[in-house]
Amino acid sequence: MNILAWKNLLHDRVRLVVTLTGIVFALVLIAVQFGMFLGFLDTSANVVEHNTADLWISAPGIPHVNGGSPIAESKRWKALQVPGVEKAVNFTLFFLNWKLPNGAFETCQIAGFDLDSGMGAPWNVVEGRIEDLRAEDTVFVDELYKKKLGVSRIGDTLELNGKRARVAGFTHGIRSFTTAPYVFTSFKNAQTYMRLRESETIFILIRTRPGADLAAVKTRLLAAVPGVDVFTRAEMLQRTQNYWVFGTGAGTTTLMGAILGLLVGIVVVAQTIYAATIDHLKEFGTLKAMGATNGQIYRVIILQAVLAAVMGYALGISIALFVVNSTAETDLLIKLPWQVAVGIFGMTLLMCMSASLLSIRKATTIDPAMVFRG
Amino acid sequence: MESLLSVRDLVKTYGKGANEVHALCGVSMDIRAGEVLVLMGPSGSGKTTLISILGGILTATSGSVRIEGREVVGLPEKELPALRRELFGFIFQGFNLFPALTAQENVAIMCRLKGVNSANLRAAELLESVGLGAKLKSYPADLSGGQKQRVAIARALAGEPRIILADEPTAALDSVSGRTVLEILSGLAREKNRAVVIVTHDPRVLEYCDRIVHIEDGRVGAEESRRKVEAMV
Repeated sequence: MNILAWKNLLHDRVRLVVTLTGIVFALVLIAVQFGMFLGFLDTSANVVEHNTADLWISAPGIPHVNGGSPIAESKRWKALQVPGVEKAVNFTLFFLNWKLPNGAFETCQIAGFDLDSGMGAPWNVVEGRIEDLRAEDTVFVDELYKKKLGVSRIGDTLELNGKRARVAGFTHGIRSFTTAPYVFTSFKNAQTYMRLRESETIFILIRTRPGADLAAVKTRLLAAVPGVDVFTRAEMLQRTQNYWVFGTGAGTTTLMGAILGLLVGIVVVAQTIYAATIDHLKEFGTLKAMGATNGQIYRVIILQAVLAAVMGYALGISIALFVVNSTAETDLLIKLPWQVAVGIFGMTLLMCMSASLLSIRKATTIDPAMVFRG
Repeated sequence: MESLLSVRDLVKTYGKGANEVHALCGVSMDIRAGEVLVLMGPSGSGKTTLISILGGILTATSGSVRIEGREVVGLPEKELPALRRELFGFIFQGFNLFPALTAQENVAIMCRLKGVNSANLRAAELLESVGLGAKLKSYPADLSGGQKQRVAIARALAGEPRIILADEPTAALDSVSGRTVLEILSGLAREKNRAVVIVTHDPRVLEYCDRIVHIEDGRVGAEESRRKVEAMV
């Protein structure tokens, strides 16, 4: 019976192409849209995710990590007196203007971090040394944004918020969810670029002592440092992701795209598998007349659906991987981890098998006497 | 000759109340091993309904069908596929071959369905026996009508059925192909002691048959013996 499923599938090439197109289209749409959603989650809060701070102190009511406002730097001393706090350092994240060589402006986000603790430092450094940021007017930018920021090598000098900025190094793959790339520098440099007073910072990052109860330290900080909000890393991460990914509608749109892909896939595959069953109805009737059980006929139909799923998956995932790889060097991140690839395979199987249920229903009702009707 | 298949007072009614149609009204007959029995009659007379009930494809409203002494009317639906697999070989007017499969695969799939060991080998032997040893790898689309019907016969013979039920097996064939098919079918009865039941309008069949049973309005009409048939031919 297996050979009948396989050969029936291959016999009608046009129908096979239509079926595979439906599966591939749905699968690529699902993989890319879901990959973009994962990419959004990653890029929207990567500066929080890669930050080693345990707690974030900010001005009250900030909507997300990129929306902070100045607070008194002196609060850091109060924080340091709270039991359980090992380190408290300054950190800034702020939108500024970057002047391009042609005189035009681009917006960037300046990330000013404490060089000694390393909390908030850039990751994936591919050129230059973090220590070089101790020099005045030095910055790190990401390779993906070289063209956007008008830089090409270490030593290139531009203007950041009206002040000189010299490129001291490059990272790779630190993408920004917004159109404004991250520019890393020391906290001291950032204060200058942002024209902050020496007594001001945007965030105070806390590292707790080993074994300290995070929730308890947070409560004590809220009590000891007036006029601030305190977030755990997970809270800041979620707050930021919720704002950018769901608050802007970007995440919902991509998820809807993935769901749409699934629905389109089910409809196209159901239609083609159903039509294929109708075309082969007389053959199934012949099999029944000759003694095949309903179970044996279901097996042929389901096997056809499974084979179509496997072929469609192989093609679809290859195209999706190609799309993912082709965006690797762009500012758009599409993530396709193996767990998602395996999940999509399971979903493709489920999609094709559920699509074949309609056909099975039709096959159940075949009257074997139809074989005598010419 | 012993009676392989015994039919008594067979009734088949379609629909209910005002829409009731009596397709068979008390048909009785015996079919013996080693004979070729022809069912003749006008369209709508009940021939196809009769052959469908004999083959366990349709269930009768009442009456009795005994195959080798075993009553099959009233068998549960789920037991019918096994009955069809074990006892019958079917041949259809439209051949009903699987277009995606080669001649050998068409026969082999039925061998597997009927639990025959070495299905491919047996399929090749069966096709050889109907003169199609050179067409094992041919697809139905590449075969003539006569060749297709011979593939269908080889397929019907998978699993060594005791009874062959053929519905208009020569209707779509030219005279040469028709004769070849009829010679194979009559050979199965004479040499292999199988019962062959043929539903047909084709007068070419008469010279190969042992008995003709005329079905009219769901009833058995005249029955002619081989001698009478020979005289007619």
